[in-house]
Amino acid sequence: MHPNQPISAALVILLPLLTAFAVPIIGFWRKDLSFYASCTALAAAFLCALHLLISVHQRGTVDYFLGGWDPPWGIALRIDSLNALMGVLVAVLFTLAGFASKKSVPLELPLKEAPFYALFLLLFTGLLGMILTGDMFNLYVFLEVSALTSYALIAMGEPGSEVASLRYLLMGTVGASWYLLGVGYLYITTGSLNMADLSGLLREMEGSRAVLSGFAFLLFGIAVKMALFPMHLWLPDAYAKAPAIVSTTIAPIMTKVMAYVLIRIGFTVFHPEYVVQAAKASGLLVWFGIFAILFGGISALSQTDFKRMLAFVIVAEIGYIVGGIGIANPTALKGAIFHIVNDAVMMASLFLVGMMVSHRTGGHGINHFFGIFRKMPVTAVVFTVGALAVIGVPPTCGFFSKWYLLLGGIEAGHWAFVAALLVCTLINVALFFRVFDKGLYLHAKAPQSIPEPLIDAFTIQEAPLSMLVVGGVLAAGILAIGIGNSFIVKTLIQPAVPGGL
Amino acid sequence: MVALFLSMEYRPLWAVALPGLVSILILFSKNRPNLREIWTIAGSVCLFGMVLSMNAAAAGTGPVEVVLFPLFPGVAFHLRADAPGLIFATTASCLWILVSVYSIGYMRVLKEHAQTRFYFCFAVALFSTVGVAFSANLVTLFIFYEILTLSTYPLVAHEESPEAVSAGHKYLAYLLTGGVFFLLAILMTYHWVSSTGFHPQGILLPAAKNIPGWALSLVFIFFLVGCAKAAWMPLHAWLPSAMVAPTPVSALLHAVAVVKAGVFCIFRVVYYVYGLNLMAVLHLGMILALIAAFTILAANLYAIGQDNLKRMLAYSTINQLSFIILGIALLSPMAAKGALLHIPFHGFMKITLFLCAGAVAAIAGKKEISKMKGIGRALPVTLGAFMIGAFGMCGAPPLAGFLSKWHIALGAIQCGGLVFLGVILTGSLLDVVYFFPVIREAFFGKIPESQMLLQDAEERVAPLEEKAKWMESKRPLYLFMVIPLAVTAAFSILLCFFPGIFFIHDLAASAVTDIFGGR
Repeated sequence: MHPNQPISAALVILLPLLTAFAVPIIGFWRKDLSFYASCTALAAAFLCALHLLISVHQRGTVDYFLGGWDPPWGIALRIDSLNALMGVLVAVLFTLAGFASKKSVPLELPLKEAPFYALFLLLFTGLLGMILTGDMFNLYVFLEVSALTSYALIAMGEPGSEVASLRYLLMGTVGASWYLLGVGYLYITTGSLNMADLSGLLREMEGSRAVLSGFAFLLFGIAVKMALFPMHLWLPDAYAKAPAIVSTTIAPIMTKVMAYVLIRIGFTVFHPEYVVQAAKASGLLVWFGIFAILFGGISALSQTDFKRMLAFVIVAEIGYIVGGIGIANPTALKGAIFHIVNDAVMMASLFLVGMMVSHRTGGHGINHFFGIFRKMPVTAVVFTVGALAVIGVPPTCGFFSKWYLLLGGIEAGHWAFVAALLVCTLINVALFFRVFDKGLYLHAKAPQSIPEPLIDAFTIQEAPLSMLVVGGVLAAGILAIGIGNSFIVKTLIQPAVPGGL
Repeated sequence: MVALFLSMEYRPLWAVALPGLVSILILFSKNRPNLREIWTIAGSVCLFGMVLSMNAAAAGTGPVEVVLFPLFPGVAFHLRADAPGLIFATTASCLWILVSVYSIGYMRVLKEHAQTRFYFCFAVALFSTVGVAFSANLVTLFIFYEILTLSTYPLVAHEESPEAVSAGHKYLAYLLTGGVFFLLAILMTYHWVSSTGFHPQGILLPAAKNIPGWALSLVFIFFLVGCAKAAWMPLHAWLPSAMVAPTPVSALLHAVAVVKAGVFCIFRVVYYVYGLNLMAVLHLGMILALIAAFTILAANLYAIGQDNLKRMLAYSTINQLSFIILGIALLSPMAAKGALLHIPFHGFMKITLFLCAGAVAAIAGKKEISKMKGIGRALPVTLGAFMIGAFGMCGAPPLAGFLSKWHIALGAIQCGGLVFLGVILTGSLLDVVYFFPVIREAFFGKIPESQMLLQDAEERVAPLEEKAKWMESKRPLYLFMVIPLAVTAAFSILLCFFPGIFFIHDLAASAVTDIFGGR
């Protein structure tokens, strides 16, 4: 059969990579052109990713051998429904963030546009490479590319971001090293680095202690990079102190890409029975997930900074996803993968709201949200949709992925996970309604009713159009994914669930 | 396109969508208050017309169904205008018209702030109420149920004082925690029978073969906690605190939207999810009836000591809602019919009482019963309507409340629950105990020296005797308040003699036939 090898598989990584090297040169010539160059590359990469997704669904799994070298000697890109979906997700979010950066970068990072866009595109390359590759070591290479660029991007932020980035660097490098160690164990025992190859070879090596150690190192390495409790300590400061555009880009998606890597390793490289029975890892994952959910939620309650609060919400959301992966039945995995998509979109919209508010008011504390329903109504609407999605109010997308996760937990009889999810819903209500109260109620100090004309003293000072358009697209996306969830789950998520369950 | 709009096929969808559309129009008419009010009034009238047309049709053909798009395997976004839903929707839409007219008077007399936010949230609340009424399965119901809670939150905290915001938080705490339990119960139902659609004989009976009775009963309790909107004790505390909201909101919460959505959900869960047979087998009817009986008596006892008029009416509402719950729990045709009739009847009577309380607060500036001595002379129409509503609460003929309570009492006798008959009668007697003094003092009370001065909303102070003559006609805006409450009071009497108005009686009878099969 004619193998499916569309060129878009390579292009989607090459285009941003080459543009990343071109941007400093373009930027040196004319600063504002770096934005347009990046956006072109991002849009082109998005179209390639979309083409790849359609190609995978129409013609089957893509096996693209780089340089024409056959695996296991050469590096192969192996793209099935799961990573095609992840690729489109990353491409969409990066493209939208790229558009939204138009006014934000000159304000927050003056004179650094060219380096910023270069690093931005390199980060994009790294993440896409991680997603599309079919080779364990190649994944490590792209992992380090994305990690190093993210360290640099985060360190460009407000005072204190350098320390946060350093902490992220130290912890992240430890995590990546453990991952590498895990790959090393697997290579020594099997002699192969190709994922599909390993999948066959490892089936015969169930009892090996070396393989088990390799698996453990892989798991813990990914857990550090994924900010799974208790290895999440680098996340709150790093994401809160980073420049607004950097948080908006990487916060929703980086940990989700690591969750994808977890699914890959747990269900494709190793197979489900091994993970559940031999390694007894899945039970452990669910409990870590439960603690992440509760800890993330409760920590978020004590925050006065909006972005830090969202960072802890991310810790909790990773708990949902890892719990769903750990339960390892089809419904829960559908929920986990759907939640990866939904959470990325929801968090993107909320961090974007944070960006819009800090753009106009100069800060991202919860107190900076005072009166936004009056001063920045479109931003307020985007915030409402995003907040309701995180809480899990239908018809936003967040409700539907929570439904599948809860149903998966009920089917498996894992009542602790179900309870944790429901408790976290209530915690999220408390979190976001604090912000709603600040934004909605202008007369909290005035006991008497104030006549209407006086209120219009608040003139509308909205965020720039580029950010508003992106916010609108994300909010509309949240509602569309929710309303169309049945179609999306059937065509995109169901095929993405790894086989063998 | 026009034909599509007018066709009966999609009318439940248009009925649900219309208040949503009105809410968007209100948002864009922020700077033109009169246009904004016109949207509300026009929308409410159109909605009522649509619902009435469906009432007329439902008597002949069957219920109109609209299936929109799938949500989960086996569950779609599904609307159905069946008999109980139409009763609820009729109540909501008719009272929306009257409360909207009233709000115009009330909000402008008091020069309230944030009126656009008020009308917007009102319209969204009505959108979700009609959605709850026409939902054909639990998931669709849940969607509208949560939107109802969230859209009424800014209304409860409208005053934005610390007291109002804290009342709003209490409101959310009770109702959203209930929502979480409701979601769990829906998930368990879906897990057991792979469907959540409503059916007059219930859908959970097949599950009873494999699932132990205690699990089914536990999930029933979860459903009840989910219906915390019905304010059954001990989940009632949000309601008296929510009285800090402006009066149109209290009228909406108590007669139209939130509380009736709660009892309506209990009705759906008992008959359309669990079904008559399962309820009887598991003795769940008895549990529910005991909860209702306790609430009836306890709420009335609480009401007796209240000085704030609206808080007293809040406890009276908790009491009356449990009458409806009792009617549902007795599992007999007469009682179920009485419960369905009490939804609109109580709605009209309670709204009369609340609109009167609001008129007294806006026109004469009085909120406490102890300060309302002799107010009947200054506000005769208002207090006259209050008297009519109060008689209705007690279940006295010729008020509508008599008719519905009579049915429930007959139902109690029919199923042999004479204890509950006693509860009904005691409850009605206790109603008299706290309503009667208000009426007596209002009309015949001697005004003490310290209260000789009357302060109206514009803070014009004048001696009571001088102002006493008919304050209600002093300003045209006052008429916006007084005419709706006179209309609801008139309906409270009319519905006793003509329960077939708006097809209410026919719908109730047809719903009972569907469930009990002509018994």
